[in-house]
Amino acid sequence: MIRICYLMMLVLLAATTSCHKLESWSDSQHGNFEALWSIMDQHYCFFTEKGVDWDEIHSRYVAKVSDDMTDKELFYVCADMLNELRDGHTNLSSSFNVSYYRKWWSDYPENYNARLVEEHYLNFNYLSAGGMDYAILPQNVGYMRYSSFNSMVGESNLDQILLHLNVCDGLIIDVRDNGGGSMTNVETIVRRFITERTLAGYISHKTGPGHDDFSEPYAYYYDPAEAGRIMWGKPVVVLASRGTFSAANNFVSIMQYRPNTVIAGSTTGGGSGMPFNSELPNGWGIRFSACSVLDAKGNTTEQGIEPTPGCAVDLDPVQALDGHDTILDFAISYLTGTSFAYNRQ
Amino acid sequence: MKRTIIYIIVLIVAVLPAYPQEEAATLRPVTSAYTAEIGDARLANTYLTPLKYTGWSAAFNYERMQAMKFNPDKWVMRLAAGLTLDGTENPAKNADMWRLVGEFSWGMTHRWRIPCNITLAAGGSTGVDLGVLYNSRNGNNPVAVEAAWTVNLTGYAAWNTRIGRLPLTLRYQPTLPVAGVFFSPDYGELFYEISLGNRSGLVHCAWWGNYFRMENLVTADLHFGATCLRLGLRSNVLSTKVNNIVTRVVTTAAVIGISGEWMSLNPSRGIDSKARIISALY
Repeated sequence: MIRICYLMMLVLLAATTSCHKLESWSDSQHGNFEALWSIMDQHYCFFTEKGVDWDEIHSRYVAKVSDDMTDKELFYVCADMLNELRDGHTNLSSSFNVSYYRKWWSDYPENYNARLVEEHYLNFNYLSAGGMDYAILPQNVGYMRYSSFNSMVGESNLDQILLHLNVCDGLIIDVRDNGGGSMTNVETIVRRFITERTLAGYISHKTGPGHDDFSEPYAYYYDPAEAGRIMWGKPVVVLASRGTFSAANNFVSIMQYRPNTVIAGSTTGGGSGMPFNSELPNGWGIRFSACSVLDAKGNTTEQGIEPTPGCAVDLDPVQALDGHDTILDFAISYLTGTSFAYNRQ
Repeated sequence: MKRTIIYIIVLIVAVLPAYPQEEAATLRPVTSAYTAEIGDARLANTYLTPLKYTGWSAAFNYERMQAMKFNPDKWVMRLAAGLTLDGTENPAKNADMWRLVGEFSWGMTHRWRIPCNITLAAGGSTGVDLGVLYNSRNGNNPVAVEAAWTVNLTGYAAWNTRIGRLPLTLRYQPTLPVAGVFFSPDYGELFYEISLGNRSGLVHCAWWGNYFRMENLVTADLHFGATCLRLGLRSNVLSTKVNNIVTRVVTTAAVIGISGEWMSLNPSRGIDSKARIISALY
């Protein structure tokens, strides 16, 4: 009996010492600020890459926090602090507002006008499937517009689209102003444009709370679509703009290394950090970049991907008034080997 | 030669167990219990959120005990299976976290019958837990998988007594994993990366420093004829820390169900009047 009591005491001792510590913050204005700062401090993945001194930012912004400030006042202090990260994947969500760093695209030309393309190039006559609008341009060039990687595109959709465009000499994939979405859709599409197992890039995650605690980059590969699917082996021009972000940026980062492919337009918006979600004691949600995705050469694309040399084109607003999308014009002439002179409807 | 044969016969007789000429048959009824449980839950998982969620816990459990064939007086096996669903909210009540876990364990205990109708038992078991924690507000990190295979210390103290004329069996049964393996992603690793094929570092050896769990079960079986009403209380504490991810699950639930002893008999042969019935619990 004494032995049993001794054993039980040991068990209780283990029970009291083995519970692992959970960090906690009060639901006060200071508590919520510190929770936000700590969550970012421990999980955000681009401090070093962007040269952000998060401790200095803490000392600067904590001075603006007081426990008698309103929730909205606290929200804007926190939002301003997050904007120091210059990250389009970082948002603070409350019941009255969602903070959003816009300068990654608002400081740049938009370089895309949907009406311009639909009216002057597609004549409002195009097909749509799986979130893609597609048509054959008069120059016998295929045009695919994918406006969001949130739109699920199925294998049958791609079969139908590529079969329809099969007669074309080249293909334009327009992902300008595509803000991203599901990485699964990136793979689904890219698989139609490769002929062998292809290194798509690397992924590196945080391994601990330190700013430089990262795993070894893990190489990930895409395989071609299974036999029997419609594939595309002809030249491709991918149209990109500053609004090409996140999963769309990832799509460009993979397609840029495909043979017979150029990236035309302007530098993409980046957003290569895959976001995590967390929350504050007051219920506000926080989303932030937590996992860095690198391209096939191990380069970061967080700041964007530049067009192929010689393919940097902006949309000329003056020519747009005359019905010209100068980026699309460039792509057509690149694929047809002609100058900008072509017949449009 | 004759002497040698006699020696051999004596030796064989000495080695053979001394069975009585007409040993009574041994019957080992199965003690089965089906219980429903309802209580409260406190969940935390820093892969999903730094906050502690609170709410309710509901479970359905099955337990089966039987004296072992090789030494029914001393050894008892216990099989347990259950399904638990916890529904919780964050402190601000604007987000939900759910936990769904299935559990299965099997073990054996050695028992000692001591005076006053008390039985003490100690032994080991092995079990598998498999489930998920799901946080409804998260995008790329919505779930944390809970998967573990453990080797446990277990035992029980049972007291067969009466309340007035009503037979009653009180039991306390703790279960304490001491070793095993369990699953955890890395600190900031997305399941997307795992789906791409990066499976390294997902399985961890469990010991009390990184995986502590203790289940305490107290039951009172009220014997109404052949069937018992089981009332009780179950508490479960799970605390893990690996890859800088802390998980804590604390549930406490009231138990209600039925239990009873069942025997599989051949109707044409009936029960031997001399048969010994060795119960697993009662």
